[in-house]
Amino acid sequence: MSSIRVEQLGKAFRIKKKQEGFAGSFKSLLKPLYEDKTAVDGITFSARQGETVAFLGPNGAGKSTTIKMLTGILHPTIGFAEVLGCCPWTERTKLSYRIGSVFGQKSQLWYHLPPIDTFELMSRIYELRRSDYLQRRDEMIERFELAPYMNTPVRKLSLGERMRCEIAASLLHRPQVLFLDEPTIGLDVVVKQRIRRLIHELNEQEGTTVFLTSHDAGDIEQLCERAIVINYGRIVFDDRVELMKLRYMTHKTIRLVVADDPGDMDIPGATVVERSETKVVLSVDTSLTTIEAALTNVMSSRRIIDVTIEDPPMEEIITRMYGDFGEEDCSS
Amino acid sequence: MTTLGKMAKYAFIGKITLRNQLAYIIDFLIRSLFLLLILYIFLQLWQATFHGEGDASLIAGYSFNQIMWYLVITEAITLACPSLCTRIEEEVKNGDVGYRLVRPIHFVVFHYVEYMSEAAVRFGVNAVLGGTLGLLIIGPPELSAGFLWLPLAAAFGLTVNFMLNMTLALCAFWVEETRGIEFVYNKFLFTIGGMLMPLELFPDALQAVGRWLPLQAVLYIPAKTAVAFDASRLAGMLAVQVLWIAVIGLAVAWIYRRGVKKLNVNGG
Repeated sequence: MSSIRVEQLGKAFRIKKKQEGFAGSFKSLLKPLYEDKTAVDGITFSARQGETVAFLGPNGAGKSTTIKMLTGILHPTIGFAEVLGCCPWTERTKLSYRIGSVFGQKSQLWYHLPPIDTFELMSRIYELRRSDYLQRRDEMIERFELAPYMNTPVRKLSLGERMRCEIAASLLHRPQVLFLDEPTIGLDVVVKQRIRRLIHELNEQEGTTVFLTSHDAGDIEQLCERAIVINYGRIVFDDRVELMKLRYMTHKTIRLVVADDPGDMDIPGATVVERSETKVVLSVDTSLTTIEAALTNVMSSRRIIDVTIEDPPMEEIITRMYGDFGEEDCSS
Repeated sequence: MTTLGKMAKYAFIGKITLRNQLAYIIDFLIRSLFLLLILYIFLQLWQATFHGEGDASLIAGYSFNQIMWYLVITEAITLACPSLCTRIEEEVKNGDVGYRLVRPIHFVVFHYVEYMSEAAVRFGVNAVLGGTLGLLIIGPPELSAGFLWLPLAAAFGLTVNFMLNMTLALCAFWVEETRGIEFVYNKFLFTIGGMLMPLELFPDALQAVGRWLPLQAVLYIPAKTAVAFDASRLAGMLAVQVLWIAVIGLAVAWIYRRGVKKLNVNGG
């Protein structure tokens, strides 16, 4: 059963064009010029109940605009969408009881009050039965390990602690679809991992549909089974994440700190991207060699002090995708 | 969910806003000290005016004591009003409006509850401080039943002010910049709205204009109810406030329905 169904959905914004300089600004006041910018250009897709979908694309590609239309915040210019059988923009209130949303750069917690107060507020806003709320709250506190922070004013919490509270607060009403807009932005590696694990557990145990946007390749790899890539408002890829990785995540980065001057490096399948006295950055083509083989090669003749292995940033994968789909196809 | 249940939801929002506002109590107190300056300036001004009128005991039916307490009340209400335009403009600019719209709460009602709770805290602080200053500088007011009606008239007045400000603030859904319009509105409220002096002191033509405007319902009616109470006119004055709440409320609902379709949420 589809929990999200989108057909030819599009959104265009009318943007005032400002001309350069003081004279230009004055002219704009008297005779404003407008430009129509298409943020989302007739996209079609669906997601079944319980699916975890990564909705990807570079900045300005139309991801957030799509999420805002699917949550009913924005009205589309054309097309149709249905979330849990409701039209988001005409049945926003009805739908809001059944969906949850977390916008990574925004906060729903009351700044001067402890999270327990926001939780209480959420229980009232979503009109939860008292016993259901208390049971769910305790479950969320335990699962997200929030007990030490529940009575601390939000302003005193770290970003990671706050984010866990944000997500837990969004889950109190047991949403069937969870929209996550960059939920791990700005978090350290440990907190990111923890949040991913929690969202994954939620999806497994409660069958919540997860619709996620992120620039973090780790979020996509560890959380999502399917990826939809959007660029210039159009879908350019829609398939399993595994397939996307196989096709586009062909490079990984190895950052090395070595004890002595590394000298010339000739490692099959790897190229030196950056190099200083004791630091080397290698780009490893995983279609030609493995990370293990590349590291073994380096370690055979050099003493390594530190090593970091990184996935390529999402932008790099998308750039690679542009190459495959063709610039013309993506930007037209 | 029953209507009662829905009201309980908004009552809780009010309660949590009140708690959140307590963090700003020192800020309110400092802001309220502005009252001291205003009262001192107007004390001098009205003393000179009454003296210039040949030490008249009444001007347009108001004694010196009544006029000064009138000013205490209008200033206490004015300084209690949060800037709705600033708040909504910021919400639109930074995209927080999205979080409001994805919850099962009405955007306007949420802001009304938040506005009134904040105004209640601020008005309480201003009333205590203004009352103390008034007692020290002016002396006790002429007590009447009007002071018992003041909380209700002030609540209606704040509601009218919220509605008027909301019509301006919702323009942020189209133009993003609304503080300029708010500035002009506030200046009208200070003058023809009767913040500085009761409408009876205005020239006849201006009084006639003022009586047809909703601005009188914000400050003039609550302050007059308290300091120049006339039981026979009370129902009429409260009815004027209720009427404006209904009329402007309908306008707000109409603008909101149109604006929410036009809204362009920034961020992301």
